[in-house]
Amino acid sequence: MRETTWMSNKEKESIQLLQGTLDLIVLRTLATMGPQHAYQIATRLEQISDRLLNLNQGTLYPALVRLEQYGWIKGTWGRTESNREAKYYAITKAGQKALGEETQAWRRMSALVERLLLEES
Amino acid sequence: MKNLRRFFLRFYLLFANSKVEAELAREIGTHLALLEDEYLRQGMTHEDARRAARLAYGGVEQAKQLHRDERGFQGLGQILQDTRYTFRQLRKSPGFTAAAILMLALGIGATTAIFSIVEGILLRPLPFPDPGRLVILGDVLEGSHCTSCAHSSVTAPDIRNYMRDTQSFSNLGGYRQRLFELSGTGEPAAVNATRMSGEVFAALGVPPLLGRKFTQHEDEEQQQVAVLSYGMWQNRFHGDANVLGSKIFLYRKPYTVIGVMPRDFEFPLNPGHVNQSELWLPLSLQPEAFSAGSAVSWNSRMVGRLKPGITVEQAQSDAQRVARETMEDYPAYMGSLRIHAVVTPLQEDTVAQARPLVRTLFFAVIVVLLIVCANLAGLLLVRAIRRRREIAVRLALGARAGTLLRQAIVESMVLSITGGAIGLALAAGALRVGVSRLPQTLPRINEIGLDWPVMFFALGLTLLTGFLCGLAPAFAATRTSVNETLKEGGRGGASGSGHARLRSVLVAAEIAVALTLLTASGLLLRSFEKMRDVKLGFRPDKTLAALYVLPHQRYGTQSAIDEFTKTLLTDLGELPGVDAVGITSFLPAGGNNWSIAFTIEGYVPPKGAGLNMAAMSLVESDPFEALGIRLLRGRVFTESDNAGSQLVAIVNRKMAERYWPGQDPIGKRLRRGLAETSTPWMTVVGEVDDVKLGSRDAETMPQVYQPVTQSVASEGVLASVGELSGADGWIVLRTRMAPEQMEDTVRATVRKIDPQLPLYQTQTMEHAISKSEAPRRFNTILISSFAIAAVLLSVLGIYGVIAFSVALREQEMAVRMALGCQRSGLVLFILSSGAKLAAVGCGLGLLGAVAASHLLRSFLFEVSPFDPGVLALCTIAMLLLALAASALPARRASSTDPMLALRGE
Repeated sequence: MRETTWMSNKEKESIQLLQGTLDLIVLRTLATMGPQHAYQIATRLEQISDRLLNLNQGTLYPALVRLEQYGWIKGTWGRTESNREAKYYAITKAGQKALGEETQAWRRMSALVERLLLEES
Repeated sequence: MKNLRRFFLRFYLLFANSKVEAELAREIGTHLALLEDEYLRQGMTHEDARRAARLAYGGVEQAKQLHRDERGFQGLGQILQDTRYTFRQLRKSPGFTAAAILMLALGIGATTAIFSIVEGILLRPLPFPDPGRLVILGDVLEGSHCTSCAHSSVTAPDIRNYMRDTQSFSNLGGYRQRLFELSGTGEPAAVNATRMSGEVFAALGVPPLLGRKFTQHEDEEQQQVAVLSYGMWQNRFHGDANVLGSKIFLYRKPYTVIGVMPRDFEFPLNPGHVNQSELWLPLSLQPEAFSAGSAVSWNSRMVGRLKPGITVEQAQSDAQRVARETMEDYPAYMGSLRIHAVVTPLQEDTVAQARPLVRTLFFAVIVVLLIVCANLAGLLLVRAIRRRREIAVRLALGARAGTLLRQAIVESMVLSITGGAIGLALAAGALRVGVSRLPQTLPRINEIGLDWPVMFFALGLTLLTGFLCGLAPAFAATRTSVNETLKEGGRGGASGSGHARLRSVLVAAEIAVALTLLTASGLLLRSFEKMRDVKLGFRPDKTLAALYVLPHQRYGTQSAIDEFTKTLLTDLGELPGVDAVGITSFLPAGGNNWSIAFTIEGYVPPKGAGLNMAAMSLVESDPFEALGIRLLRGRVFTESDNAGSQLVAIVNRKMAERYWPGQDPIGKRLRRGLAETSTPWMTVVGEVDDVKLGSRDAETMPQVYQPVTQSVASEGVLASVGELSGADGWIVLRTRMAPEQMEDTVRATVRKIDPQLPLYQTQTMEHAISKSEAPRRFNTILISSFAIAAVLLSVLGIYGVIAFSVALREQEMAVRMALGCQRSGLVLFILSSGAKLAAVGCGLGLLGAVAASHLLRSFLFEVSPFDPGVLALCTIAMLLLALAASALPARRASSTDPMLALRGE
């Protein structure tokens, strides 16, 4: 069995997901790639994180139900290319707006942390 | 916004659980399939791909649980699940469910209804701002032995002195309630009005709905102004906002309406709902009120508001100082009178007399509720025993004790909440019908209702009941020994004996409290019976009574009054069907407690005996004949006993026995007032039977009758200048036909003499008596119905225990019979187990009755709380009922066919 991506591994470079960032990543993914099902979102996450995230794919589900309850994304059942039924999540108008706000907040936060770290060193 | 939306969704999803779960499973299925596809493409075998997909996904169940936690409130979810489970269980046994809910509904409903009375009367603050500072100030007359001292009163000079000289009150004023003839708007009618100092309004601090209140200044200026009650304004003036400034006539004197009080304003806070004040007028004390007899008339009360920081005790010693000064200024004719100032919180003054009754009712209803709880706990316990195997299996399969506990509690909660809801509806219905029937001895009746505090009480009661009733079966369930129960298999041996013991304790306790209540009810019934046996001293049948009051405006001279009275008596006497007619100032059974002090010639009172008080009735014509009061000695009054002749009096037997024991009272002399009061002697010419002036169970007063024509002369120094007598009185008629039929004729006769004069409280004497008996009847009926409910419930409880234990031991019985036990022996065996329970319960119940005796004592009449007859009768009744309840299962057990039962194994 080859070493797979989402398996929990003990590589030193693996990072923990910050609170709230998963929501942002999911929203961002849906905003750029259009409606996606859970597997697609997980694959995407894996790609962009360069396999550094220490995460099971199942962990995605609570984030999806939370975002759906906020009204930021909406799930509809559809069919994949391989003709399997799957629930496709699409970002809503409210989600777009929230993504904008969250992105701003994130930027401010990361800039702040960046500045702090610079001063420290 | 997003959080609110989420909150509701999380709540909603609890109910749509199965649909969401299915969708989640589908979604995860797809996810795994897609992962598997990927691994297949990468060249794995089917089996490896499956495994890898699972690994990549992580724990499916964990993911599902995370999803559940995220989407809904889980704690609630479990309770919801238990509730659904409970509903399924309850639907399977509709008989049990209906019985349990009905019992709870009755228990909670009755308790809630009674609590709403407790809340409305005892607990709710008085309807005035900062009611804790309001107090009643009054005198207690030394040696008066008055029965109504719970309501201290004052004289007119007292009002002046206390208002002028005390320093503890920010506002203080006097008031007195009187009947008034109201005319000028529609039919002339009798209204209850309160004359009061302007300061009283200031002390109460309630703003008027319309217009204004009168001031102390207006009171002293003797302004003729009136403030209307809301009810009066609605009924007589149709809620007309232009009522201010209009004129009304009270005893034919004009008064200007200056204000209307709000709907919930009530003052004085009188017991009952027919005596409420409809008008407030300035007290406007006249100069005569400070002189002669009026100055020694304790006919008013005082209410005040304490200054900030002043306690009731400080106010009382302040008032006592003023009382001492008042006594120093007493005129010579009342020099030996001694008074004490008493300050009582208004709340206390209002509810003191109602408290014992309300407390007892609450106590009784709580007892019923306890029995309901015990019965329900017993029923639930039976269910727990029946389900012992199911519970054991569940425990064996890993159910946690906590889960079982929760389910048991949820089950009893579901029952109690349903029962509570129905009970609340019952209470609302009962209150709607019942409040108008409450006895007239209770104050603030209009404030009784299902308000928020009562609702909260009902809710709390419901939850508590559910919780407590659930506890017993819950612990029984968790203490189930898995091993033992499963080993026992289907065999119904004498197992679960621990549970059975718990039930027996419950039932014994039920019988105990039921017996306590039953004895209470028995004692009250006995008291009622004793009261009905008391001789009234008059014949109430075929007697009609009506009150008239002649307005001073028209009948300002003694000759005008005498003229009216003479015509009235003649005209009434000539009516067909009238046997006798008379006028008396006090009506028997009317609740009179007005008495005056007498000096008796040659009577040396024992030391510390106090004043010689007697109830005084002024009579005209022959009310003795009309009321059927028996003459024991001497003669009744005649025409020749008038203002000019020798002063005469008639005494009752009690008076004669107290002051002239063993002697003939005829010819003895007595006079009004104290030894130092200068009044002329009256000679006793007759002795009559003791008459009950109040209710039958009240103590009989010494009574003195006097011709009304001689009253002014007999008052001596107490008579004020120009005093008139006979301006009011009760007409009493003895008729040959049903007295109700005479009412209109009497009214027409009076109207012929004075078209504007109304008659008040026209009633038959039988009606007057039934009114005076109403409070006792009310207590007795209510307590007895609670007792009946309690006894029925506890009999049901004992039946349940015996029947169930017999059912459980069917095989044991069969074996016994197969081995030669006689059927009669079996019956005896079962009966004795029921009797044992009953005996223990009755023993405890008698102890309970002793404990409750001090609570009950004040309601009993000539019956000891330990009346052996009542106690024995109740105990025997309870034992017999318990035996009867066990006889049914005993018969059933003895008639089982042993072969059938054994084969059933």
